[in-house]
Amino acid sequence: MNFQIPIGPQHPALKEPISLRMTVDGEVIVDADIRLGYNHRGLEKLAEEKTWLQNIYLTERICGICSHSHATCYVQGVEKLMELAPPRRGLYIRYLVSELERVHSHLLWLGVAGHEAGFDSFFMYTWRDREIVMDLLEMISGNRVHYAINTLGGVRRDIDEGQKAKILEGVATLRKRSEYYFHIGANEPSFVARIAGVGLLSKEDAIALCAVGPVARASGVARDVRKEDPCAVYDELDFELCTADSCDVLGRVVVRVKELLQSYNLIEQMVKGLPDGDIVVKAPRKAKPGEVVSRYEAPRGENIHYIKANGSDKPERLKVRAPTLGNYPATVLMLRKGFIADIPLIFAAIDPCICCAERTVTLVGARNGEESVVRMDDLRRQALARAKNAPVKGNAVWPF
Amino acid sequence: MSDIEIVESLKRDLGAKALELANPDRRRIFLKVAPAELVPTVTLLRDKYDCAHLSTISGVDKGETFEILYHFASPVVGLTVRTEVPRAEPRFASICPVIPGAILYERELQEMFGVTVEGIPDGRRLNLPDDWPDGQYPLRKDWKHVRPEEVIPGGKS
Repeated sequence: MNFQIPIGPQHPALKEPISLRMTVDGEVIVDADIRLGYNHRGLEKLAEEKTWLQNIYLTERICGICSHSHATCYVQGVEKLMELAPPRRGLYIRYLVSELERVHSHLLWLGVAGHEAGFDSFFMYTWRDREIVMDLLEMISGNRVHYAINTLGGVRRDIDEGQKAKILEGVATLRKRSEYYFHIGANEPSFVARIAGVGLLSKEDAIALCAVGPVARASGVARDVRKEDPCAVYDELDFELCTADSCDVLGRVVVRVKELLQSYNLIEQMVKGLPDGDIVVKAPRKAKPGEVVSRYEAPRGENIHYIKANGSDKPERLKVRAPTLGNYPATVLMLRKGFIADIPLIFAAIDPCICCAERTVTLVGARNGEESVVRMDDLRRQALARAKNAPVKGNAVWPF
Repeated sequence: MSDIEIVESLKRDLGAKALELANPDRRRIFLKVAPAELVPTVTLLRDKYDCAHLSTISGVDKGETFEILYHFASPVVGLTVRTEVPRAEPRFASICPVIPGAILYERELQEMFGVTVEGIPDGRRLNLPDDWPDGQYPLRKDWKHVRPEEVIPGGKS
Protein backbone atom coordinates (compact mmCIF):
# COMPACT_ATOMS: atom_id res chain seq x y z
CA MET A 1 0.00 0.00 0.00
CA ASN A 2 1.27 3.45 -0.89
CA PHE A 3 1.28 6.49 1.36
CA GLN A 4 2.15 10.10 0.75
CA ILE A 5 4.61 11.93 2.95
CA PRO A 6 4.63 15.71 2.82
CA ILE A 7 8.05 17.27 3.45
CA GLY A 8 8.49 20.98 3.98
CA PRO A 9 7.96 23.74 3.09
CA GLN A 10 8.77 25.69 6.21
CA HIS A 11 12.28 26.92 6.63
CA PRO A 12 12.38 30.67 6.99
CA ALA A 13 16.15 30.91 7.24
CA LEU A 14 16.73 29.71 3.70
CA LYS A 15 16.06 31.15 0.33
CA GLU A 16 13.49 28.96 -1.33
CA PRO A 17 11.65 26.63 1.01
CA ILE A 18 9.91 24.05 -1.11
CA SER A 19 7.55 21.26 -0.39
CA LEU A 20 8.07 17.66 -1.39
CA ARG A 21 5.45 14.93 -1.54
CA MET A 22 6.89 11.48 -1.34
CA THR A 23 4.78 8.49 -2.22
CA VAL A 24 6.26 5.61 -0.28
CA ASP A 25 5.72 1.92 -0.13
CA GLY A 26 7.21 0.95 3.19
CA GLU A 27 10.68 2.44 3.21
CA VAL A 28 10.98 2.73 -0.56
CA ILE A 29 10.06 5.91 -2.39
CA VAL A 30 7.76 5.09 -5.29
CA ASP A 31 7.27 8.60 -6.54
CA ALA A 32 8.29 12.11 -5.60
CA ASP A 33 6.63 15.40 -6.41
CA ILE A 34 8.11 18.84 -5.91
CA ARG A 35 5.83 21.72 -5.05
CA LEU A 36 7.51 25.06 -5.47
CA GLY A 37 6.41 28.56 -4.72
CA TYR A 38 6.25 28.74 -0.96
CA ASN A 39 8.68 31.60 -1.05
CA HIS A 40 7.89 32.92 -4.52
CA ARG A 41 8.76 36.61 -4.45
CA GLY A 42 7.68 37.84 -7.86
CA LEU A 43 11.16 39.08 -8.53
CA GLU A 44 10.94 39.06 -12.32
CA LYS A 45 7.93 41.38 -12.17
CA LEU A 46 9.67 43.61 -9.64
CA ALA A 47 12.76 43.88 -11.84
CA GLU A 48 10.65 45.53 -14.55
CA GLU A 49 10.00 48.44 -12.23
CA LYS A 50 13.58 49.08 -11.15
CA THR A 51 16.41 50.79 -13.01
CA TRP A 52 19.38 48.97 -14.52
CA LEU A 53 21.55 49.93 -11.57
CA GLN A 54 19.01 49.06 -8.88
CA ASN A 55 18.55 45.64 -10.42
CA ILE A 56 22.15 44.66 -9.64
CA TYR A 57 21.30 44.77 -5.97
CA LEU A 58 17.98 43.07 -6.56
CA THR A 59 19.51 40.15 -8.46
CA GLU A 60 22.22 39.85 -5.84
CA ARG A 61 19.48 39.06 -3.35
CA ILE A 62 18.13 36.11 -5.32
CA CYS A 63 20.46 33.79 -3.46
CA GLY A 64 22.17 34.00 -0.11
CA ILE A 65 25.05 31.65 -0.90
CA CYS A 66 25.89 32.35 -4.52
CA SER A 67 24.78 35.99 -4.50
CA HIS A 68 27.69 37.06 -6.68
CA SER A 69 26.76 34.62 -9.43
CA HIS A 70 23.38 36.22 -10.12
CA ALA A 71 24.75 39.75 -9.96
CA THR A 72 27.60 38.82 -12.32
CA CYS A 73 25.28 37.06 -14.74
CA TYR A 74 23.03 40.12 -14.85
CA VAL A 75 25.86 42.62 -15.09
CA GLN A 76 27.68 40.85 -17.91
CA GLY A 77 24.42 40.76 -19.86
CA VAL A 78 23.61 44.43 -19.30
CA GLU A 79 27.16 45.43 -20.23
CA LYS A 80 26.62 43.71 -23.58
CA LEU A 81 23.33 45.59 -24.03
CA MET A 82 24.97 48.92 -23.18
CA GLU A 83 28.03 48.06 -25.33
CA LEU A 84 30.36 48.69 -22.43
CA ALA A 85 33.85 47.27 -22.28
CA PRO A 86 34.88 46.98 -18.63
CA PRO A 87 38.61 47.43 -17.91
CA ARG A 88 40.57 44.22 -17.60
CA ARG A 89 41.54 44.86 -14.01
CA GLY A 90 37.88 45.22 -13.12
CA LEU A 91 37.04 41.94 -14.84
CA TYR A 92 39.84 40.11 -13.07
CA ILE A 93 38.62 41.32 -9.69
CA ARG A 94 35.04 40.37 -10.58
CA TYR A 95 35.93 36.80 -11.49
CA LEU A 96 38.38 36.55 -8.61
CA VAL A 97 35.43 37.11 -6.30
CA SER A 98 33.51 34.51 -8.35
CA GLU A 99 36.12 31.87 -7.70
CA LEU A 100 36.41 32.75 -4.02
CA GLU A 101 32.65 32.39 -3.83
CA ARG A 102 32.83 28.99 -5.49
CA VAL A 103 35.39 27.92 -2.88
CA HIS A 104 33.21 29.02 0.01
CA SER A 105 30.13 27.41 -1.50
CA HIS A 106 31.85 24.08 -2.17
CA LEU A 107 33.43 24.01 1.30
CA LEU A 108 30.00 24.68 2.79
CA TRP A 109 28.54 21.89 0.71
CA LEU A 110 31.28 19.40 1.62
CA GLY A 111 30.54 20.06 5.26
CA VAL A 112 26.83 19.45 4.70
CA ALA A 113 27.57 16.23 2.82
CA GLY A 114 29.76 15.02 5.66
CA HIS A 115 27.07 15.92 8.17
CA GLU A 116 24.31 14.13 6.27
CA ALA A 117 26.49 11.05 5.88
CA GLY A 118 27.17 11.02 9.62
CA PHE A 119 30.75 12.24 9.40
CA ASP A 120 30.52 15.29 11.61
CA SER A 121 34.22 15.91 12.13
CA PHE A 122 34.47 16.44 8.37
CA PHE A 123 31.74 19.04 8.69
CA MET A 124 33.55 20.85 11.47
CA TYR A 125 36.88 20.89 9.63
CA THR A 126 35.48 22.21 6.35
CA TRP A 127 33.38 24.88 8.03
CA ARG A 128 36.38 26.04 10.03
CA ASP A 129 38.31 26.44 6.78
CA ARG A 130 35.42 28.17 5.10
CA GLU A 131 36.02 31.05 7.53
CA ILE A 132 39.38 31.68 5.83
CA VAL A 133 37.73 32.33 2.49
CA MET A 134 34.87 34.28 4.08
CA ASP A 135 37.45 36.56 5.70
CA LEU A 136 39.16 37.04 2.36
CA LEU A 137 35.85 37.99 0.77
CA GLU A 138 35.14 40.41 3.57
CA MET A 139 38.56 41.95 3.15
CA ILE A 140 38.04 42.44 -0.61
CA SER A 141 34.44 43.61 -0.64
CA GLY A 142 33.59 44.67 2.89
CA ASN A 143 30.82 42.08 3.17
CA ARG A 144 30.61 38.40 3.96
CA VAL A 145 27.45 37.46 2.06
CA HIS A 146 26.25 40.07 -0.40
CA TYR A 147 29.56 41.36 -1.68
CA ALA A 148 28.06 44.14 -3.81
CA ILE A 149 31.31 44.39 -5.71
CA ASN A 150 29.76 44.44 -9.19
CA THR A 151 28.63 47.56 -10.91
CA LEU A 152 27.80 48.30 -14.52
CA GLY A 153 31.13 48.64 -16.30
CA GLY A 154 33.40 47.04 -13.73
CA VAL A 155 33.71 46.63 -9.99
CA ARG A 156 33.38 49.02 -7.07
CA ARG A 157 36.54 48.28 -5.10
CA ASP A 158 40.17 47.81 -5.99
CA ILE A 159 42.60 45.48 -4.26
CA ASP A 160 46.12 46.43 -3.18
CA GLU A 161 49.41 44.57 -2.76
CA GLY A 162 48.81 43.68 0.89
CA GLN A 163 45.46 42.16 0.05
CA LYS A 164 46.97 40.19 -2.79
CA ALA A 165 49.53 38.69 -0.41
CA LYS A 166 46.80 37.77 2.06
CA ILE A 167 44.73 36.06 -0.65
CA LEU A 168 47.70 33.98 -1.78
CA GLU A 169 48.50 33.05 1.80
CA GLY A 170 44.89 32.04 2.51
CA VAL A 171 44.66 29.99 -0.68
CA ALA A 172 47.91 28.18 0.12
CA THR A 173 46.49 27.13 3.50
CA LEU A 174 43.20 26.07 1.92
CA ARG A 175 44.93 24.05 -0.76
CA LYS A 176 46.91 22.11 1.82
CA ARG A 177 43.79 21.40 3.85
CA SER A 178 41.66 20.45 0.83
CA GLU A 179 44.28 17.94 -0.25
CA TYR A 180 44.10 16.49 3.22
CA TYR A 181 40.29 16.17 2.93
CA PHE A 182 40.70 14.47 -0.40
CA HIS A 183 43.00 12.02 1.37
CA ILE A 184 40.50 11.51 4.24
CA GLY A 185 37.60 10.97 1.83
CA ALA A 186 39.60 8.38 -0.04
CA ASN A 187 40.71 6.52 3.07
CA GLU A 188 37.56 6.46 5.17
CA PRO A 189 35.66 3.36 4.02
CA SER A 190 32.53 4.05 6.07
CA PHE A 191 32.11 7.47 4.45
CA VAL A 192 32.62 6.11 0.94
CA ALA A 193 30.28 3.18 1.60
CA ARG A 194 27.52 5.52 2.83
CA ILE A 195 27.56 7.73 -0.25
CA ALA A 196 28.39 5.22 -3.00
CA GLY A 197 25.41 4.06 -5.03
CA VAL A 198 22.98 6.56 -3.46
CA GLY A 199 20.91 8.81 -5.73
CA LEU A 200 21.79 7.29 -9.07
CA LEU A 201 21.37 9.42 -12.18
CA SER A 202 22.56 7.90 -15.44
CA LYS A 203 24.29 9.98 -18.08
CA GLU A 204 21.36 9.62 -20.50
CA ASP A 205 18.91 10.84 -17.87
CA ALA A 206 21.16 13.72 -16.88
CA ILE A 207 21.18 14.89 -20.49
CA ALA A 208 17.47 14.31 -21.11
CA LEU A 209 16.41 16.09 -17.92
CA CYS A 210 18.78 19.00 -18.56
CA ALA A 211 20.71 18.63 -15.31
CA VAL A 212 23.37 21.26 -14.68
CA GLY A 213 26.58 21.79 -12.77
CA PRO A 214 28.25 19.24 -10.52
CA VAL A 215 25.18 16.97 -10.70
CA ALA A 216 25.57 16.63 -14.47
CA ARG A 217 29.36 16.45 -14.29
CA ALA A 218 29.19 13.65 -11.72
CA SER A 219 27.14 11.69 -14.27
CA GLY A 220 29.85 12.05 -16.86
CA VAL A 221 28.40 15.02 -18.77
CA ALA A 222 31.47 17.16 -19.34
CA ARG A 223 29.88 20.59 -19.53
CA ASP A 224 30.86 23.81 -17.86
CA VAL A 225 29.86 27.29 -18.97
CA ARG A 226 33.33 28.54 -18.09
CA LYS A 227 34.71 26.27 -20.85
CA GLU A 228 31.82 26.38 -23.34
CA ASP A 229 30.97 30.03 -23.28
CA PRO A 230 33.95 31.61 -21.55
CA CYS A 231 32.96 35.03 -20.33
CA ALA A 232 35.66 37.68 -20.27
CA VAL A 233 38.65 36.15 -18.51
CA TYR A 234 38.18 32.38 -18.40
CA ASP A 235 39.61 31.73 -21.86
CA GLU A 236 42.91 33.25 -20.74
CA LEU A 237 43.19 31.07 -17.66
CA ASP A 238 44.26 27.50 -17.38
CA PHE A 239 41.96 25.07 -15.58
CA GLU A 240 40.50 21.63 -16.01
CA LEU A 241 36.92 20.51 -16.26
CA CYS A 242 36.23 18.04 -13.45
CA THR A 243 33.97 15.06 -14.02
CA ALA A 244 33.22 11.72 -12.42
CA ASP A 245 31.41 8.76 -13.88
CA SER A 246 30.01 7.00 -10.83
CA CYS A 247 26.67 8.89 -11.25
CA ASP A 248 25.93 8.92 -7.49
CA VAL A 249 26.51 11.07 -4.41
CA LEU A 250 30.11 9.85 -4.25
CA GLY A 251 30.69 11.26 -7.71
CA ARG A 252 29.19 14.59 -6.70
CA VAL A 253 31.56 14.80 -3.73
CA VAL A 254 34.56 13.95 -5.91
CA VAL A 255 33.61 16.54 -8.54
CA ARG A 256 33.31 19.27 -5.94
CA VAL A 257 36.59 18.46 -4.22
CA LYS A 258 38.36 18.48 -7.58
CA GLU A 259 36.71 21.78 -8.48
CA LEU A 260 37.96 23.28 -5.24
CA LEU A 261 41.53 22.50 -6.25
CA GLN A 262 40.91 23.97 -9.71
CA SER A 263 39.47 27.12 -8.14
CA TYR A 264 42.62 27.60 -6.08
CA ASN A 265 44.63 27.42 -9.31
CA LEU A 266 42.36 30.02 -10.91
CA ILE A 267 42.60 32.35 -7.91
CA GLU A 268 46.38 32.18 -7.89
CA GLN A 269 46.56 32.82 -11.63
CA MET A 270 44.23 35.80 -11.37
CA VAL A 271 45.98 37.37 -8.38
CA LYS A 272 49.44 36.92 -9.90
CA GLY A 273 48.37 38.13 -13.34
CA LEU A 274 46.20 41.02 -12.19
CA PRO A 275 46.53 43.72 -14.89
CA ASP A 276 47.08 47.38 -14.07
CA GLY A 277 44.63 50.12 -14.90
CA ASP A 278 41.17 51.30 -14.00
CA ILE A 279 38.57 49.11 -12.41
CA VAL A 280 35.43 50.69 -13.83
CA VAL A 281 34.09 52.70 -16.77
CA LYS A 282 31.10 54.98 -16.57
CA ALA A 283 27.84 53.35 -17.60
CA PRO A 284 24.99 55.15 -19.34
CA ARG A 285 21.64 55.46 -17.59
CA LYS A 286 19.65 53.89 -20.44
CA ALA A 287 20.19 50.92 -22.71
CA LYS A 288 19.28 50.73 -26.39
CA PRO A 289 16.45 48.35 -27.32
CA GLY A 290 17.79 44.85 -27.66
CA GLU A 291 18.03 41.52 -25.99
CA VAL A 292 20.78 39.39 -24.57
CA VAL A 293 21.19 35.94 -23.06
CA SER A 294 23.81 35.76 -20.35
CA ARG A 295 25.18 32.49 -18.95
CA TYR A 296 27.44 31.96 -15.99
CA GLU A 297 28.71 28.92 -14.14
CA ALA A 298 27.54 29.34 -10.56
CA PRO A 299 28.82 26.94 -7.90
CA ARG A 300 25.63 24.91 -8.39
CA GLY A 301 25.65 24.92 -12.17
CA GLU A 302 24.58 26.95 -15.13
CA ASN A 303 22.87 30.20 -14.32
CA ILE A 304 21.06 31.95 -17.16
CA HIS A 305 19.53 35.43 -17.44
CA TYR A 306 17.54 36.64 -20.42
CA ILE A 307 17.43 40.44 -20.51
CA LYS A 308 15.35 42.53 -22.90
CA ALA A 309 15.69 46.30 -23.11
CA ASN A 310 13.16 48.75 -24.55
CA GLY A 311 15.29 51.89 -24.65
CA SER A 312 14.35 53.21 -21.21
CA ASP A 313 16.27 53.07 -17.96
CA LYS A 314 14.40 49.94 -16.89
CA PRO A 315 14.42 46.43 -18.37
CA GLU A 316 11.45 45.29 -20.41
CA ARG A 317 11.92 41.75 -19.17
CA LEU A 318 14.38 39.95 -16.94
CA LYS A 319 14.14 36.19 -16.84
CA VAL A 320 16.22 34.38 -14.26
CA ARG A 321 16.80 30.66 -14.09
CA ALA A 322 18.80 29.55 -11.10
CA PRO A 323 20.70 26.26 -11.31
CA THR A 324 18.71 24.56 -8.56
CA LEU A 325 15.50 24.73 -10.64
CA GLY A 326 17.31 23.07 -13.53
CA ASN A 327 18.22 20.16 -11.27
CA TYR A 328 14.77 19.45 -9.85
CA PRO A 329 13.52 17.10 -12.60
CA ALA A 330 16.70 15.06 -12.13
CA THR A 331 16.26 15.04 -8.35
CA VAL A 332 12.79 13.51 -8.67
CA LEU A 333 14.35 10.68 -10.63
CA MET A 334 17.17 10.25 -8.10
CA LEU A 335 14.70 9.98 -5.24
CA ARG A 336 12.62 7.29 -6.96
CA LYS A 337 13.47 3.78 -5.81
CA GLY A 338 15.54 5.26 -3.01
CA PHE A 339 14.91 4.97 0.72
CA ILE A 340 13.26 7.53 2.97
CA ALA A 341 16.47 7.55 4.96
CA ASP A 342 18.41 8.67 1.88
CA ILE A 343 16.25 11.76 1.23
CA PRO A 344 18.50 14.16 3.18
CA LEU A 345 21.62 12.86 1.47
CA ILE A 346 20.21 12.89 -2.05
CA PHE A 347 18.66 16.28 -1.57
CA ALA A 348 21.79 17.76 -0.11
CA ALA A 349 23.79 16.31 -2.99
CA ILE A 350 22.22 18.63 -5.55
CA ASP A 351 23.29 21.45 -3.23
CA PRO A 352 19.90 23.09 -3.22
CA CYS A 353 19.74 26.71 -2.23
CA ILE A 354 16.84 25.60 -0.11
CA CYS A 355 17.36 23.14 2.63
CA CYS A 356 13.69 22.81 3.19
CA ALA A 357 14.35 19.29 4.30
CA GLU A 358 15.73 20.45 7.64
CA ARG A 359 12.41 21.10 9.37
CA THR A 360 9.79 18.47 10.00
CA VAL A 361 8.53 15.49 8.11
CA THR A 362 5.27 13.70 8.69
CA LEU A 363 5.75 10.00 8.41
CA VAL A 364 2.78 7.78 7.82
CA GLY A 365 3.30 4.20 8.90
CA ALA A 366 2.54 1.87 6.03
CA ARG A 367 0.98 -0.78 8.24
CA ASN A 368 -1.09 1.10 10.78
CA GLY A 369 -1.62 4.43 9.03
CA GLU A 370 -0.46 6.34 12.09
CA GLU A 371 1.04 9.76 11.51
CA SER A 372 4.12 10.82 13.35
CA VAL A 373 5.99 14.07 13.05
CA VAL A 374 9.76 13.71 13.09
CA ARG A 375 12.52 16.21 12.68
CA MET A 376 14.96 15.82 9.82
CA ASP A 377 17.68 15.11 12.40
CA ASP A 378 15.77 12.05 13.51
CA LEU A 379 15.46 10.95 9.93
CA ARG A 380 19.20 11.32 9.62
CA ARG A 381 19.67 9.22 12.73
CA GLN A 382 17.45 6.54 11.20
CA ALA A 383 19.55 6.76 8.07
CA LEU A 384 22.72 6.18 10.06
CA ALA A 385 21.15 3.26 11.89
CA ARG A 386 20.11 1.71 8.61
CA ALA A 387 23.52 2.22 7.09
CA LYS A 388 25.13 0.63 10.13
CA ASN A 389 23.19 -2.58 9.60
CA ALA A 390 23.64 -2.62 5.85
CA PRO A 391 26.47 -4.70 4.49
CA VAL A 392 29.49 -2.51 3.80
CA LYS A 393 29.88 -2.00 0.09
CA GLY A 394 33.31 -3.55 -0.07
CA ASN A 395 33.81 -2.67 -3.71
CA ALA A 396 33.14 1.05 -3.24
CA VAL A 397 36.39 2.93 -3.54
CA TRP A 398 37.28 6.57 -3.90
CA PRO A 399 38.06 7.14 -7.60
CA PHE A 400 41.50 8.70 -7.84
CA MET B 1 31.63 24.05 -36.02
CA SER B 2 31.89 27.80 -36.04
CA ASP B 3 28.90 30.12 -35.69
CA ILE B 4 28.83 30.89 -39.42
CA GLU B 5 28.88 27.22 -40.36
CA ILE B 6 26.00 26.53 -38.00
CA VAL B 7 23.98 29.41 -39.42
CA GLU B 8 24.61 28.20 -42.97
CA SER B 9 23.73 24.65 -42.05
CA LEU B 10 20.53 25.78 -40.33
CA LYS B 11 19.58 27.76 -43.43
CA ARG B 12 19.97 24.64 -45.55
CA ASP B 13 18.04 22.41 -43.14
CA LEU B 14 15.17 24.72 -42.36
CA GLY B 15 14.83 26.71 -45.57
CA ALA B 16 11.76 28.92 -45.47
CA LYS B 17 10.77 27.61 -42.04
CA ALA B 18 13.44 29.79 -40.46
CA LEU B 19 11.59 33.10 -40.30
CA GLU B 20 14.58 34.91 -38.86
CA LEU B 21 18.13 33.80 -38.26
CA ALA B 22 20.55 36.11 -36.49
CA ASN B 23 24.04 35.79 -35.06
CA PRO B 24 24.38 38.99 -33.01
CA ASP B 25 27.27 37.88 -30.87
CA ARG B 26 29.94 35.23 -30.67
CA ARG B 27 28.48 31.81 -29.72
CA ARG B 28 24.92 33.17 -29.78
CA ILE B 29 22.30 32.41 -32.45
CA PHE B 30 18.67 33.51 -32.51
CA LEU B 31 16.24 31.54 -34.66
CA LYS B 32 12.57 32.27 -35.21
CA VAL B 33 10.04 29.67 -36.33
CA ALA B 34 6.25 29.44 -36.57
CA PRO B 35 4.52 27.78 -33.58
CA ALA B 36 3.55 24.77 -35.70
CA GLU B 37 7.21 24.16 -36.61
CA LEU B 38 8.41 24.22 -33.01
CA VAL B 39 8.54 20.51 -32.20
CA PRO B 40 10.15 19.44 -35.51
CA THR B 41 12.74 22.21 -35.16
CA VAL B 42 13.59 21.27 -31.59
CA THR B 43 13.92 17.61 -32.63
CA LEU B 44 16.27 18.61 -35.45
CA LEU B 45 18.36 20.75 -33.10
CA ARG B 46 18.61 17.95 -30.58
CA ASP B 47 19.55 15.25 -33.05
CA LYS B 48 21.76 17.11 -35.48
CA TYR B 49 23.18 20.10 -33.60
CA ASP B 50 23.70 18.53 -30.16
CA CYS B 51 21.35 21.08 -28.57
CA ALA B 52 19.91 18.61 -26.07
CA HIS B 53 20.41 20.94 -23.14
CA LEU B 54 17.50 23.31 -22.62
CA SER B 55 18.64 26.07 -20.29
CA THR B 56 15.23 27.61 -19.80
CA ILE B 57 12.11 28.90 -21.56
CA SER B 58 11.15 32.52 -21.18
CA GLY B 59 8.13 34.47 -22.30
CA VAL B 60 7.70 38.12 -23.19
CA ASP B 61 4.39 39.97 -23.38
CA LYS B 62 4.57 42.03 -26.58
CA GLY B 63 1.02 43.35 -26.47
CA GLU B 64 -0.73 41.66 -29.40
CA THR B 65 1.42 38.57 -29.15
CA PHE B 66 3.39 36.54 -26.68
CA GLU B 67 6.95 35.74 -27.61
CA ILE B 68 8.21 32.41 -26.29
CA LEU B 69 11.96 31.84 -26.26
CA TYR B 70 13.60 28.44 -25.83
CA HIS B 71 17.21 28.84 -24.75
CA PHE B 72 19.25 25.84 -25.85
CA ALA B 73 22.93 25.24 -25.39
CA SER B 74 25.25 22.94 -27.26
CA PRO B 75 28.94 22.63 -26.35
CA VAL B 76 29.83 25.17 -29.02
CA VAL B 77 26.94 27.60 -29.26
CA GLY B 78 23.98 29.02 -27.34
CA LEU B 79 20.93 28.79 -29.54
CA THR B 80 17.65 30.56 -28.82
CA VAL B 81 14.54 29.45 -30.69
CA ARG B 82 11.71 31.94 -30.57
CA THR B 83 8.13 31.76 -31.66
CA GLU B 84 5.21 34.14 -31.42
CA VAL B 85 1.65 33.21 -30.55
CA PRO B 86 -1.32 35.61 -30.76
CA ARG B 87 -2.67 36.90 -27.48
CA ALA B 88 -6.23 36.02 -28.55
CA GLU B 89 -5.37 32.35 -28.92
CA PRO B 90 -2.13 31.58 -27.11
CA ARG B 91 -1.58 27.89 -27.86
CA PHE B 92 1.47 25.90 -28.85
CA ALA B 93 2.67 22.34 -28.51
CA SER B 94 4.70 20.98 -25.62
CA ILE B 95 8.28 19.99 -26.33
CA CYS B 96 8.37 17.56 -23.39
CA PRO B 97 8.24 14.45 -25.65
CA VAL B 98 11.52 15.64 -27.18
CA ILE B 99 13.16 17.32 -24.17
CA PRO B 100 11.74 15.84 -20.94
CA GLY B 101 13.56 18.46 -18.85
CA ALA B 102 11.30 21.21 -20.21
CA ILE B 103 8.40 20.33 -17.93
CA LEU B 104 8.99 22.83 -15.13
CA TYR B 105 9.60 25.70 -17.52
CA GLU B 106 6.41 24.96 -19.46
CA ARG B 107 4.40 24.83 -16.26
CA GLU B 108 5.83 28.20 -15.29
CA LEU B 109 4.90 29.68 -18.67
CA GLN B 110 1.30 28.52 -18.35
CA GLU B 111 0.71 30.11 -14.97
CA MET B 112 2.67 33.32 -15.56
CA PHE B 113 1.40 34.23 -19.06
CA GLY B 114 -1.87 32.34 -19.36
CA VAL B 115 -0.74 30.46 -22.46
CA THR B 116 -1.82 26.91 -23.17
CA VAL B 117 0.88 24.33 -23.72
CA GLU B 118 -0.86 21.52 -25.57
CA GLY B 119 0.03 18.01 -24.55
CA ILE B 120 1.94 18.97 -21.41
CA PRO B 121 2.32 15.85 -19.24
CA ASP B 122 1.63 17.73 -16.01
CA GLY B 123 -0.30 20.98 -16.26
CA ARG B 124 -0.43 22.00 -12.61
CA ARG B 125 0.81 25.34 -11.36
CA LEU B 126 4.45 25.62 -10.48
CA ASN B 127 5.04 28.66 -8.30
CA LEU B 128 1.66 30.24 -7.69
CA PRO B 129 -0.36 29.06 -4.71
CA ASP B 130 -3.27 26.64 -4.98
CA ASP B 131 -5.79 29.34 -4.07
CA TRP B 132 -4.53 31.81 -6.68
CA PRO B 133 -7.56 33.19 -8.59
CA ASP B 134 -8.09 31.94 -12.14
CA GLY B 135 -7.43 34.33 -14.99
CA GLN B 136 -4.69 36.27 -13.16
CA TYR B 137 -1.38 36.04 -15.00
CA PRO B 138 1.32 38.02 -13.21
CA LEU B 139 3.90 38.45 -15.96
CA ARG B 140 1.46 39.94 -18.45
CA LYS B 141 2.16 43.65 -18.81
CA ASP B 142 -1.41 44.67 -17.98
CA TRP B 143 -1.34 42.82 -14.67
CA LYS B 144 -0.73 45.07 -11.68
CA HIS B 145 -0.31 43.91 -8.16
CA VAL B 146 -2.99 45.24 -5.82
CA ARG B 147 -2.24 44.71 -2.19
CA PRO B 148 -5.31 43.20 -0.54
CA GLU B 149 -6.86 45.27 2.20
CA GLU B 150 -5.62 44.29 5.60
CA VAL B 151 -8.22 42.66 7.77
CA ILE B 152 -7.54 42.65 11.47
CA PRO B 153 -9.55 39.97 13.21
CA GLY B 154 -11.81 41.66 15.79
CA GLY B 155 -11.26 45.10 14.23
CA LYS B 156 -8.88 47.84 15.29
CA SER B 157 -8.96 48.68 18.95
